[in-house]
Amino acid sequence: MNRQVLEELLSIARDPYPMLRAWKKKGEKRKIIGSTLTDVPEELIHAAGMLPFTILGTNKSILRASAHLPDNACSQARSDLELVLTYQRDFFDGYVLPQVDDTTQHLSDIWRRQVRWDYFETFLLPRQIDRPSARQWLLDETLRLKRSLESFTGKEISEGRLRESIGIYNQNRGYLKRLYEMKRRHPDFINNRQFFDLIKSSMWWPKEEHNGLLERFFSGIEETDLMRKGEEDTRVVLSGIVWEPPEIMDILDQSGLRVVGDDLCAGWRYIDPDVEANGDPVKAIVDRHFKKGPFTPIYAKGNKIFENLLNLVTRNTAEGVIYLHIKFNESQDYDLPDLIENMEKEGIPLFVVETEYQTTHLAGIRTRIQAFGESLAQK
Amino acid sequence: MGEQAEKKPKAKEVMKQLTKDYYGGALRAHEENKYVAYTTAVSPVELFYAHDIIPIYPENHSVMCLTGRMMPRLSLEIEKRGYTSHLCAYARSDLGYREVGESPIGGIPDPDFLLACNAQCFTLTKWFQVLSRRYGVPVFVFDTPQYIRKDEARKNIMKYVEHQLVEMVEALEELTGRKFDYDRLREVLGYSAEASKLYREFLDLASIRPSPISIFDALIHMAIIVYLRGTKEAVDYYRLLIEEIKEEKVSKGIGVIPNERFRLYWENLPIWFKFRDHSDFLAAHDAIILTSLYAHAWSYDFDVSNPLATLAENYTSVFSNVELEERAERAIELFRRYSLNGNIMFMNRSCKAVTFGVLELKEMISKETGIPVLIFESDMGDPRFYSEVQIRTRLEAYLETLDRMGVG
Repeated sequence: MNRQVLEELLSIARDPYPMLRAWKKKGEKRKIIGSTLTDVPEELIHAAGMLPFTILGTNKSILRASAHLPDNACSQARSDLELVLTYQRDFFDGYVLPQVDDTTQHLSDIWRRQVRWDYFETFLLPRQIDRPSARQWLLDETLRLKRSLESFTGKEISEGRLRESIGIYNQNRGYLKRLYEMKRRHPDFINNRQFFDLIKSSMWWPKEEHNGLLERFFSGIEETDLMRKGEEDTRVVLSGIVWEPPEIMDILDQSGLRVVGDDLCAGWRYIDPDVEANGDPVKAIVDRHFKKGPFTPIYAKGNKIFENLLNLVTRNTAEGVIYLHIKFNESQDYDLPDLIENMEKEGIPLFVVETEYQTTHLAGIRTRIQAFGESLAQK
Repeated sequence: MGEQAEKKPKAKEVMKQLTKDYYGGALRAHEENKYVAYTTAVSPVELFYAHDIIPIYPENHSVMCLTGRMMPRLSLEIEKRGYTSHLCAYARSDLGYREVGESPIGGIPDPDFLLACNAQCFTLTKWFQVLSRRYGVPVFVFDTPQYIRKDEARKNIMKYVEHQLVEMVEALEELTGRKFDYDRLREVLGYSAEASKLYREFLDLASIRPSPISIFDALIHMAIIVYLRGTKEAVDYYRLLIEEIKEEKVSKGIGVIPNERFRLYWENLPIWFKFRDHSDFLAAHDAIILTSLYAHAWSYDFDVSNPLATLAENYTSVFSNVELEERAERAIELFRRYSLNGNIMFMNRSCKAVTFGVLELKEMISKETGIPVLIFESDMGDPRFYSEVQIRTRLEAYLETLDRMGVG
């Protein structure tokens, strides 16, 4: 295994800002456009000649954001705002903020008023996805975003350029999915933290270069890297939105719990599915949205979050589910009681971990995750 | 304010009867082979009335539970099931009612259909999804993207929302097996337009000095525009109410309180289980809350000649669904129109939609009006999050500040 490339990728995930600043200093002209989670069509920003960057908050102290938000704003919103108010004030050239619920809607207004930017746009995602109106709306909204980006850069996003961006993004998704499959099959290949850090690094690094790094990583993989070395571990599915603070993933690793499937926005939902390479590229980007796995604020007929989790557990022969619940995330709050009940009926153990950015006291979480892991292993 | 309402027996009696008939009719709906649809307070309910479907507002029922001080009992019931105490008090009260079956009015009928419009808030769509799973009935999420101030976006939003109205008509036709009658919709919309106009006229009586009504009257009489909007009864009711207030108060120069000094704005929903106490407390200090953007959420301006377009525009542009700057402008306009000289901003922990931007709004409004602001946090329905002493002390201190500034 090419440890040096792996380390390079992991260091991006640990702290991308100094590296990207250095990248810009080297003469890189591309502007950096930040987006909060989730579902902003990055290919459009990329095709507009800019670098899309997924904002995943900060675990550093909250200094300024609290003055603008109610106490029960979730830590995702608070730490996202803190990042751009305090720690990376001058890093971003602009923002495209998606809206899916009350928090993201109003956060967008506060952000627009309080944060410095050269470009600001909202991306109004449909909060229902089954009816024809949703598809037409998302197409209109995506075209509006396209025109808005073009007006900012003064350059048209050509069909050819967009296709090229889609190709680069599909390639990246393909690589990450291939790695996921290797992780599923070979327990000792890379651990949870490393794998999900690789996804993070993809959200934060120019995709062309990320593809190059992944290619080098793949070419360095040897038979021995895939061999079983350690003890038997327990396969679990991870559910939620983000995995913060990142030590959560270390705890899973240390508890012998191997993630073999997930529905996280900072996970599978970022890398699946691909955008269809043929046909109208804007329509293809819109289509991708409707093929994604369920996301709690967006209404889909039936009981999709539960059905999807059930499917992930069965397909990946997992022993149980770990649900990462961001405190004060209303959408998850409304889902959880029924989800727990439904999983119980199916006989699938589900363990809810309430997490928050800035959490430093992880001893309790560690003990409970370990206990859950042991109970699964004894099954 | 109770005294004030008692001086208007006619309108009050009519309101009682209308409420009784409405809920009575709803409870008989299934026996009479009528469909019951749950809907959210800001939603195109005209489609239900036009299709002979009885709309029920769980939020309204929750208000009755909250004013009836059934919290935190109802909330505790669902907290046992894993729902957290920081969710919307309406939702907690409603889900709690479904566990224990207790209600101040003997309950509401179970739904056949659920309409969740997210212009008011996103929470409703999640709450109604819980109900949809519970009753195994469809939920129609009526999606109204934030009405941002960009021409292209607004044009697209209107197209999207109108498209959904057509989809909703199709869903109702599928539910009932009956063809939707657009002529009937025009008639229903006519009633809505008239009632909304009269409701606004009623609210605007608060611009008179001394004011013949307070926010507490608005909150009481608001019920009819919320659940009978689209009926002739609502039109007749507000006509009667306005006449009565004009005759009994305005013509005689009588205000709600004898020495009106502090004319206050209230941001957010009320603290339902405390609003009468607040009224009495403020009156004793020559203060009166006159209005709120919340009360104005139902003063629509419908253009009957274009039903779908006007429904789309009115239900999308509610104060909670516009950009904060536009919301501030609307509030500031109320300050001017009603000659307000005080501003109480309530951070409602159980309503993120209305509360999330309040700290930002405070800056915008106080910068423009120059009026000091009292800001405090509590919960609109759960006494566990209400600190009596602290809030009274802060109200007193605020009124003293206004007094020292020579306001009023």
